[in-house]
Amino acid sequence: MFSFVRRRMYTSALPLIIVLLGVFLLARLTGDPTNLYLSESATPEQRAAFAEQNGFNDPLITQLIDYFKGVLHLDFGTSLRTGESAAEMALRAFPATLQLAFATMLLAIVGAVVVGCWAAYRPNSLADRFSSLLSMTAASIPDFWFAITGVWLFAVLLGVLPTSGVDAGVLSWILPVATLMIRPLGVLTQVVRGAMVSALSAPYIRLARSKGAGDFRVVSHHALRNAAAPALTVAGDLMVSLINGAVVVEAIFGWPGIGKLMIDAILQRDFAVLQAAVLLTAVSIFLLNIIIDACYALLDARVREPARV
Amino acid sequence: MKRNTRRLTAMALAGVAVAASGCSVANSGGGGYDLNTLRIVLPQEPPTLEPCESSLTSTGVVVRSNITEPLVERNPTTGDLEPLLATDWEQSSPTEWTFTLRDGVTFSDGAPFTAEDAAFSIDRAVNSDLQCNVDGYVFGDEVLTLQTPDENTVVVGTTKPDPILPLRLSFVEIVPRTTSMTEKVREPIGTGPYAIRDWEYGQKLILARNDTYWGDAPAFPVAEYQWRSEGSVRAAMITNDEADIATGLGPEDGAGDLGVPFQNNETTALRMQATEPPLDDIRVRQAINYATNRTGIVKALFRDLGQPAAQLIPSGVVGYNDQLQPWPHDTDKAKALIDEARADGVPVDREIRLIGRTAQFPKIAETIEVLQSEFAEIGLNVKIEMMDTASQLEYQLRPFPPNTGPYLLMIMHGNQAGDAAFTMDQYMLSDGPQSAYGTAEFDAKIRAAEQLEGEARQDAFAELFAEEPQQIMQMAYLAHMRGILGKSPRVDYTPNSATGDEMRLAAMSPAADRTDKS
Repeated sequence: MFSFVRRRMYTSALPLIIVLLGVFLLARLTGDPTNLYLSESATPEQRAAFAEQNGFNDPLITQLIDYFKGVLHLDFGTSLRTGESAAEMALRAFPATLQLAFATMLLAIVGAVVVGCWAAYRPNSLADRFSSLLSMTAASIPDFWFAITGVWLFAVLLGVLPTSGVDAGVLSWILPVATLMIRPLGVLTQVVRGAMVSALSAPYIRLARSKGAGDFRVVSHHALRNAAAPALTVAGDLMVSLINGAVVVEAIFGWPGIGKLMIDAILQRDFAVLQAAVLLTAVSIFLLNIIIDACYALLDARVREPARV
Repeated sequence: MKRNTRRLTAMALAGVAVAASGCSVANSGGGGYDLNTLRIVLPQEPPTLEPCESSLTSTGVVVRSNITEPLVERNPTTGDLEPLLATDWEQSSPTEWTFTLRDGVTFSDGAPFTAEDAAFSIDRAVNSDLQCNVDGYVFGDEVLTLQTPDENTVVVGTTKPDPILPLRLSFVEIVPRTTSMTEKVREPIGTGPYAIRDWEYGQKLILARNDTYWGDAPAFPVAEYQWRSEGSVRAAMITNDEADIATGLGPEDGAGDLGVPFQNNETTALRMQATEPPLDDIRVRQAINYATNRTGIVKALFRDLGQPAAQLIPSGVVGYNDQLQPWPHDTDKAKALIDEARADGVPVDREIRLIGRTAQFPKIAETIEVLQSEFAEIGLNVKIEMMDTASQLEYQLRPFPPNTGPYLLMIMHGNQAGDAAFTMDQYMLSDGPQSAYGTAEFDAKIRAAEQLEGEARQDAFAELFAEEPQQIMQMAYLAHMRGILGKSPRVDYTPNSATGDEMRLAAMSPAADRTDKS
């Protein structure tokens, strides 16, 4: 298992470097931050001093080398906007995003397993139709619309949930999680249903039934275990997109996460914060992928051992 | 396989634990409603509370007259300067103003306020290398001299006579002389009615009543700021009783009866890059003015929350010309002017960029589309470009990018100071930081008007606003805007023209029936 993880680390390092390089270059293509940070009547000398102080005068390759040197020393620079350490800002925001993503994915998996198994076990039943509806909803409703409609319906009209914020305990979680959950729940339900339909028609299921196994045992102990691998793969991809893409939900609901931090950093041309946030997210996704692959390897021995010919 | 199942179960439980830790969210504090707390929701978190950056709206709206105070402040209703940390001031010589300071004032950390602090704060904001925004916006490249003949007197000197120096100094917030002169501070100490209690970055900012405040204690012991970027969510927080005050609302955000309209000092206009053909021909610029249906835009898009504009400042600002009428909407006349210019060889078919800033004001995207359609109707080739703030500022502020071609830029100007000099310096001088065109003759008239006082000053600036379209016509004015403030029935507060830039918490008090509504 250790060698498997080591192999995955080696293969993931290159994409990580490419991501860092890409963010560094693309951030600088978005324009000059000077006008955002200096006064309206800043003289050419003051502008030059600002550029000099922040290294914007250096050739791009020099800036890039300095950045990578900083990363190796865990120095990600200082925010132009707040004057704080960029790493501190990213590390402070990231746990809130992780919490939101994990809670969303956990509930999506539980929901998808229940509805997907039921739909597969009873084709054309109410559950089957519900699973189709979920998938269509996931594909067609933008999360922005769902979030705003949710605020209007549950906070303004019915008054049962807070509009936003994180101060109302478990109630604060309902709208953000529900908004984020639509897509993973719809997609996963279809994956679980498809895998379960295939598993339930396999010979070993007939054998289990012939040996007297009950419906629940057949589904939960035999079919679901074999249907879990494809669902896990898709869940991993969805989790990555949740960590990466909670921007809209964080912005609307005032969730103090890294997605909103990244958007603010882009709008304010706060390069150091943007780079630190992207690096942290990329490293987390890289670790998450290793965990997912390790889980996959635990489920399927063919994955963890290289093929012997 | 059982071992594997156990491992997976353990991992799942770990996931549950991480998620469940979260009925309290990382990077957040506790909540709960408190009758003694004034709850305010802003569109964005202040990037800093550095007092010398208080001419930035997102900073000033929290800092000014709440945490820190200036020597004098302008009454937004009457336009008069009123004493604050200075009780008296006079022009002691053509280039010097003497301020007598208030006795018995202390900073929130207990240190006494003296003339040295006042001189230090002015020096720090205006003369230092800190690159303070207030320096550029209010003082340009002026360098001030400072003397403190005694503990209660500060003398401020200018290089040439400045009749509105006290008004300019109303933008300088006073900090203790122990504040860094080489670095900006994020959480300042001041003499204001409130002091910073806690700032959970990214989440909320809490101010608590400054018990050493020299004036009347504010009604609310605590003020809590939060921020939500979405206007409809801010409005919902008011209607759902999660906030008492919400700023920056639009008519479509849904605050309903809890949305209070107010004149907010902002004026929108199209700045025409008159150095580039075909915009270098005044007939084309006149045609653009004739083609702009201000009344229609204000009525249909702004839902009458605004007034068609004929100049860049609203009424109430020194220099406003109440005789000027908005340019009439006359498409036929506009077409005729374009045809005439075309006949004279002006390249009216050249593509003109129409640049707007995303989310600059409610309905900006629709406004830009309407304008593009109106300009296309008179025969101009106009292409829309929406930009974020940083990109748009490259076109708004000098030095402008090279080789841009002709462009029309949507601007929104807020004259916070109440005097036309601030507008003229920025937008009308030929080399003003936000001006693209002008003449030496008009520059001289501006400089002359800036030396005047009283009625003569008012008349001179009013005359310049009437003259500018005849000689230069750099702008197609659109509307004097009105803002909407979301206000809970729990709070008594009347917004004024300064509310968007300087929202005084001490002016807010619990409504009489506040407790009945909890």
